[in-house]
Amino acid sequence: MITRRYFLRASAIAAAGFGAAPSWLLRAAAQGESKWKILVAVFQRGAADGLNIVVPFFEKRYFELRPSIAVPAPGKNNGAIDLDGRFGLHPSLQLLKPFWDSGLLAIVHASGSPDPNRSHFEAQDYMESGTPGTVAEDGWLNRALPPATPNTSPVRAIAAGAKMPRTLRGNRGAVVVNDLEQFKVRNPNVAAIIEDLYATTTDAQLMAQGKGTFEAVKMIQSIERRPYSPVNGAQYSGELGRGLQQIARLIKGGVGVEAAFADVDGWDHHTNETPQLTGLLQQFGASLSAFVHDMGDRMEDIVLVTMSEFGRTVQEDGNGGTDHGHGNVMMVLGGPVRGGKVYGRWPGLEPEQLFEGRDLAVTTDFRDVLGELVSHHFGQKIDRVFPGYSPGEPLRLLKS
Amino acid sequence: MKRLGCLLSVPLLLVVAVAFAGNATGRFDQKLSADKQIVHVLNRLTFGPRPGDAEQVRRLGVQKWIDLQLHPERVQENPVLESKLRPLETLKLAMWQIQEKYSPATPGRVIRPPAAQSILTPQQFGRLMNCSVEDRRTLLTPLRPEDRRVVLANVPPQVLEGLPEDWVQEAAKARQAEQEARQKEFRRLMPPLTDLLSPEEVRAAQRGTREEKMALLNSLDPEKRRQVLRVLPSEALSDLPDLRREAMAVRQPQELVNSDLIENKLYRAIYSNRQLEEVLADFWMNHFNVFNGKGQDRVLLTSFERDAIRPHVFGHFKDMLLATARHPAMLFYLDNWQSQAPRDDLPPPPAAAVGALRRPGINENYGRELMELHTMGVDGGYTQADVIAVARAFTGWTIFDLNKYAEFWFNPGMHDRKEKVVLGHRIPAGGGEGDGLEVIDILAHHPSTAKFISKKLAQRFVADDPPQRLVDRMTETFTNTDGDLRAVLQTMFGSPEFLSEGAWRSKLKSPLEVVVGAVRALNADVTDTSVLAQEIASLGQPLYGKVEPTGYPNTGELWANTAGILGRVNFATALTSGQVAGVRADLSRFNFKPPSAVAGELLGMAPSSAMLAAIEKGIQRQEATPSMLVTVVMSSPDFQRR
Repeated sequence: MITRRYFLRASAIAAAGFGAAPSWLLRAAAQGESKWKILVAVFQRGAADGLNIVVPFFEKRYFELRPSIAVPAPGKNNGAIDLDGRFGLHPSLQLLKPFWDSGLLAIVHASGSPDPNRSHFEAQDYMESGTPGTVAEDGWLNRALPPATPNTSPVRAIAAGAKMPRTLRGNRGAVVVNDLEQFKVRNPNVAAIIEDLYATTTDAQLMAQGKGTFEAVKMIQSIERRPYSPVNGAQYSGELGRGLQQIARLIKGGVGVEAAFADVDGWDHHTNETPQLTGLLQQFGASLSAFVHDMGDRMEDIVLVTMSEFGRTVQEDGNGGTDHGHGNVMMVLGGPVRGGKVYGRWPGLEPEQLFEGRDLAVTTDFRDVLGELVSHHFGQKIDRVFPGYSPGEPLRLLKS
Repeated sequence: MKRLGCLLSVPLLLVVAVAFAGNATGRFDQKLSADKQIVHVLNRLTFGPRPGDAEQVRRLGVQKWIDLQLHPERVQENPVLESKLRPLETLKLAMWQIQEKYSPATPGRVIRPPAAQSILTPQQFGRLMNCSVEDRRTLLTPLRPEDRRVVLANVPPQVLEGLPEDWVQEAAKARQAEQEARQKEFRRLMPPLTDLLSPEEVRAAQRGTREEKMALLNSLDPEKRRQVLRVLPSEALSDLPDLRREAMAVRQPQELVNSDLIENKLYRAIYSNRQLEEVLADFWMNHFNVFNGKGQDRVLLTSFERDAIRPHVFGHFKDMLLATARHPAMLFYLDNWQSQAPRDDLPPPPAAAVGALRRPGINENYGRELMELHTMGVDGGYTQADVIAVARAFTGWTIFDLNKYAEFWFNPGMHDRKEKVVLGHRIPAGGGEGDGLEVIDILAHHPSTAKFISKKLAQRFVADDPPQRLVDRMTETFTNTDGDLRAVLQTMFGSPEFLSEGAWRSKLKSPLEVVVGAVRALNADVTDTSVLAQEIASLGQPLYGKVEPTGYPNTGELWANTAGILGRVNFATALTSGQVAGVRADLSRFNFKPPSAVAGELLGMAPSSAMLAAIEKGIQRQEATPSMLVTVVMSSPDFQRR
């Protein structure tokens, strides 16, 4: 049986060879896309300070341990934005508040990896692999995809940026797109020969990547000429905004995106945290907000989740910053989300409640959060995506 | 690091992978043929062979040539390189001279419109962004009209929805007036080209030939020349390095320091005859990565590379480690300069004084990365307690006057005088500056360090997954010679594993290697490296621009992805069609040559039959020009390997 998706893909590729894709194809593609569920993962690299992002302002210890960098309680100058009388958003995340109010945004606090590793690079590898304590060759979001078939879109999984993140690595197909406008072979006279070189090489690694590259080029060229501008006043900002905008454009192009990944660096604030975090969170909030607005009704089928390799010390360090810690905060955003709630058990900040006496404890394994998304949203078995892991008590983050 | 195979491989793939892995071990026993050895050593000890290099290695003999590369002082340097580097004057300056001469330009004064935040409190402003129309009206009605105008001129359009039409119009007018005032002021401070030059001159400045541009700029008086250079788009100067440098000095002097450093790296990689020294400088700069985007590191990196890294690439590891530990670039990058003893004797600052008093304390950043990345490796056997002890030992290692002199300074007032225990070694109380020296000594001689450094070198020069027995022998040399890096390299280059089929073409080129390798293979004349540097950056490897202290990986998996392959294909096209400004490649030596000869010359070996078949098939449809053939070869999978 020829599925609709296969038909679209084959047509798009055929059309790309002859210039602009016909408009009927694009219309059909856009309609066909509208029922597909999409999972978007956003990684904050460098260990974001969850305690200053979603502030536990009801905790006296929070203010005691962070005399110079605590976000003031709601109502105070530059204070947190009250969510539920206990937790508040950093004031730079003002743009996310409407999503909380309308039930699109859920927070999972004191979440993260159970692994005690405080190395950025290993902890990122573990989290992206979805296997705390070990590094897998493939990433959790790649394993969350159904096995690739000939009907699968060559751009089913998109990483925005210049590099393939571990989260999306694997054998289920994923491409890296740095800039859609530039995603083509500049010299059309040699394109066919080069494609052939990659198709016939004995170099297995480059053959696989080459095949993915040239298929994706054709698919993307089929929408590249379609004018695109963000709608609903969406204004993307900074590195993350740029990434999410590429993803938004592909989703709207109806080319069969199922999973996407974007990341944003620079959260490792050992010194002088306050101004740096303020600036970064402005970009972060604006980018997520722009994405939701730009997607509009399409958000009904999209879930976006944010994560960072670990949290930061509860006590500020000697330089107005924080050192590597443990528990952190995750955000889950989208139409299917039961938002407006802070999920997870709050472990407290008293000395005996802290992990290793210094860090926020992890009471919700990040795989519990991601597991619900891949099972409810993608219909995937959790133990396929997170091998050997048995989930804790369900959070029920998504509407069933 | 513990590794797990691809978790959900199809069984068939798994079998193939296992078979391949088993095979690979055997392949490290298979000796390369004499011809392959020549190509191989050029691919590993240099940034790629130039025409004629293979003949030179053949004449000298592989081992003799390697030995020369290991003793760069015996290799006559390329006079062309010296002429390329001569204009880069910041390379020779001391840090304080760089800081004195290239401090940031004073920014022009720009009118700041009264911010809406000065009229409303942040809470009110926050509410305004989220509340209902009625609440917005209630909030805005009591304001004076001129204040309301300012507030509404500074909010996103959705906040204006539902407000009285005259308010909205006022806001639009206020916004426009503000914008115009700002533009006018900006224009006064930074006159655009059209205010400075006639239309014909503007054309010459932007799109003229090099000669036209130079003639025009030389005709201007100094002040106007400065103004023109400040606003001329940098692309217009991309093949006029002297003018580009002059423009940078006007616009952003610190950029010039950074640009000189990048030019230095690329010119040396392309032209130096002491190629191994350049490959090693790149390796160790990456090992002790410092990010050029972090504050003063922009100007401190010049000395870091010149004074802390380069003198030691054939020396003892411990000396390099110590030089990096004491260098202001590293002290600043990993925050040690601010780390100080916790003062338990001081009362905690009052909670009310938010943002004022900070309680001093240690910063673990350097202590952790020193062990994880610089010496022992993440599995080297240290604990969180060791991280803290090392950080305490280094308290007081700071910088004297960061923005002016930036010299290493041991500040006893910041030092933690108590006893520390590092990896089982007791460092008695009261050691002062010596505590850090002792830690360096402990780490440099730790068995994990010898293993970690040996494996990393083997990954760079032999294979992504080098045979353990080779790493073991290198580790032994490291231990027996007190970390003599030349001796470790000799063990590696002299090993059968290095000159084996297992190592042959197993490495994927990094963006730096593929770009520089292409330029070298074409023997191109490079007069400006700025666009080359941009190409390398857009392929994912901005030079000196790695934010994380890990540096770039020495293994290939990061570079093999769709964006990477497409970028490499497009770079080859740009290079052969003369679109990389500052690089001229004369392709006439490929005229009338068949594809096999072109590929053979560029790859340094006979091309595979699959490659030739694909090219032959392609050129049946169109005429094969030299430029097209070179593009195809440089885009090929074969060219991505070394």
